[in-house]
Amino acid sequence: MDHPAVEVRGLHVSYGSTPVLVDVSLRVEAGKGVCVTGENGIGKSTLLRCVSSLQQPDDGEILVFGGTPGATPEFWRTVVTTVEPPTWYPGLTVREHAELVCRAHGQDPEEAGIDEALERFGLAGHADAIPPSLSSGQKQRLTLAVGLIRPSSLLILDEPEQRLDPDGRAEVAALLVDYVRDGGSLLMASHDDAFAAASGAEVTTMESLSS
Amino acid sequence: MTAVPLAPVRRWISRRQSAHRERGATAGNIYFTVLFLAVVGGMVHKQLAVVFWPTHPNASALAAASLVPILFGLLYLALRRFGPLALSRPAASWLLPAPVSRRRLLLPSLRLTAIVAAIVGALAGLAVLGHGAPRTLGGEQIALFGTGAALIGVALLLVALAAQAGGRWGDRLDAVVSLLLAAGLVGLVTDATGDHAPAADGWPPARTLVPLVGALALVVALLFTLAVRGLARTPNQRILEAAKTAGTLFDSAFGMEPTFLTDMIERRYWAHRKLRSMHLSARLPVLVGQDLLLVLRRRSRLLWLVLAAALPVLLADAPHWLIGLAILVGAMLAGSTAAGNVKTDAGNPVLLRILGLSSRTAVRQRMWVPGILAGVWSALALGLLSALGDLPSGPWWVLGLVLGPVGAVASVRRARVGFVRNELLPLDTPMGTVSTGPLVNAAIGPDALLLGLPALIEIAQGHPLSWLTVLVQAVVGGLGARAYLAGTTAADRVELHALR
Repeated sequence: MDHPAVEVRGLHVSYGSTPVLVDVSLRVEAGKGVCVTGENGIGKSTLLRCVSSLQQPDDGEILVFGGTPGATPEFWRTVVTTVEPPTWYPGLTVREHAELVCRAHGQDPEEAGIDEALERFGLAGHADAIPPSLSSGQKQRLTLAVGLIRPSSLLILDEPEQRLDPDGRAEVAALLVDYVRDGGSLLMASHDDAFAAASGAEVTTMESLSS
Repeated sequence: MTAVPLAPVRRWISRRQSAHRERGATAGNIYFTVLFLAVVGGMVHKQLAVVFWPTHPNASALAAASLVPILFGLLYLALRRFGPLALSRPAASWLLPAPVSRRRLLLPSLRLTAIVAAIVGALAGLAVLGHGAPRTLGGEQIALFGTGAALIGVALLLVALAAQAGGRWGDRLDAVVSLLLAAGLVGLVTDATGDHAPAADGWPPARTLVPLVGALALVVALLFTLAVRGLARTPNQRILEAAKTAGTLFDSAFGMEPTFLTDMIERRYWAHRKLRSMHLSARLPVLVGQDLLLVLRRRSRLLWLVLAAALPVLLADAPHWLIGLAILVGAMLAGSTAAGNVKTDAGNPVLLRILGLSSRTAVRQRMWVPGILAGVWSALALGLLSALGDLPSGPWWVLGLVLGPVGAVASVRRARVGFVRNELLPLDTPMGTVSTGPLVNAAIGPDALLLGLPALIEIAQGHPLSWLTVLVQAVVGGLGARAYLAGTTAADRVELHALR
């Protein structure tokens, strides 16, 4: 399998009469990271949504590991995205959410290292809390934690540094470096140049993707 | 700091609001409300008479006594749920933080709630009287009883108001009232199992009632004065919470979307609970383990379910098809107590995507716990009916067990329904426009109870139950559940997409 993780060619998306993406092309090699930067409203999230199969483009071709992205369980076992925020299960604690995700992927929660993951994301003291009671930054950490604890081959993250404090940003950037070093691929959008550089991803601007 | 007078502010607000309304809009609204009440009253006045004032008293002393904690307990718990002291959301945002007199700000709300509590209390008293008292009762006695009941309604409001202001005793009192309510239900069921004669006498004469009601009025008036004086001490967060409830209630009524309200109640419940993380069972399928954990965390609901299994006994004298219907609806409601996670998944599939399970696997696993609850509930209810001799001979509890899949399909289908579709075409009827969205929405879920038709027919016919019927019901329920899974889920799709 020598397919790139993500391959986008000639992507066109418009909202009503407003074109957002015009002839956008992008390539993320397997085992590499790419970070797209650009001002608000330039279409970063739209691009990520299209790659995650959460939005239908007007025109263009998108391949994820050589296949068309879709709503299949196989696709979602390969790809993790934080483009949309989750609705947490009622009456389930932070730790139980992480354990649920592990078990659904056939992992043993102890071996998967839930406690270490919660510790790294600064959530160890909130393991028994229910997610709606967390602050927005802690919810963002939890979303990343449950996304990273399960096996996957491609991470699609929309501004993962958002709402995180400086320590949290450094921690998440380090985890992304580990993820790519272990063979994963990364496509993310960010406003924070320092975070993008720390995550080890190749930084590219939205303008440079339009030919 | 001197308080800014509130009356001019309120006057200004109402003037600005009416400036944005069309001329005569208020009069039009009043006209339509009165017309609506007259038309509905004209249509259902016979049913109302049966509920409040049947031709002959038909309740025994036990039943009448049981009705009291049930009706007034429900009133108290409803008052506690909704505040009882609330402000509109705009008033909570703009007037609560303003330097106006807190007492004057809250007084209109208290007055309105007191009127509602008094009316509901009087109606409850009237219903007890109508079912339990002989028709020889004089008009004076009835008026005194009604007044007394209205005063009790106001007294309950004042207690709820004090509970709103603080203290853990409020929660404990809620538990006590719930127990009384349950005791009342037990009383009603006990009454239905025996052959008790309607109570005829023993009602106090007017000369005993006058001093009693007078004393009660005095106490309530005193408490009311104390409550008004203490109004300013109601903590802000309680008023804000109640304002949110009132606003959500309004949203629910306006958008005909009851889930706004139920979701808010659910969110509040969990926000007040202190949880300890548990391990999900490694032996069970992962989502079954999660549903089980959720059910075990709400044990009081299970207790209520067990108690509710006795309620169909109340219908022992009703036509048998009504008992059958009650069993089927009960099975769906029992299943619904464990269907909260399906609702989350149907509303937002993000977690399902992270879990990476197909919609078929997810729904199949999510049907287990509702199915078991529905089956056990129906078995209890039918077993009890049969033990009390209200059903002919036969293995009725087994029929209840095989209703499990029917309850599972109905409750899961109900949980996946999503928001009311208000864009559906409205129907023009002689009485005005009826929007079809809420009607369609209400039917999704209960429509699956058609799978319980074999059981319903069997109960309605009143013949002894044969094993063949049990087998037929088991096959119909099982095949129905399989067909539901095959028709509304796919092995190659994660999202649940409630197919309509």
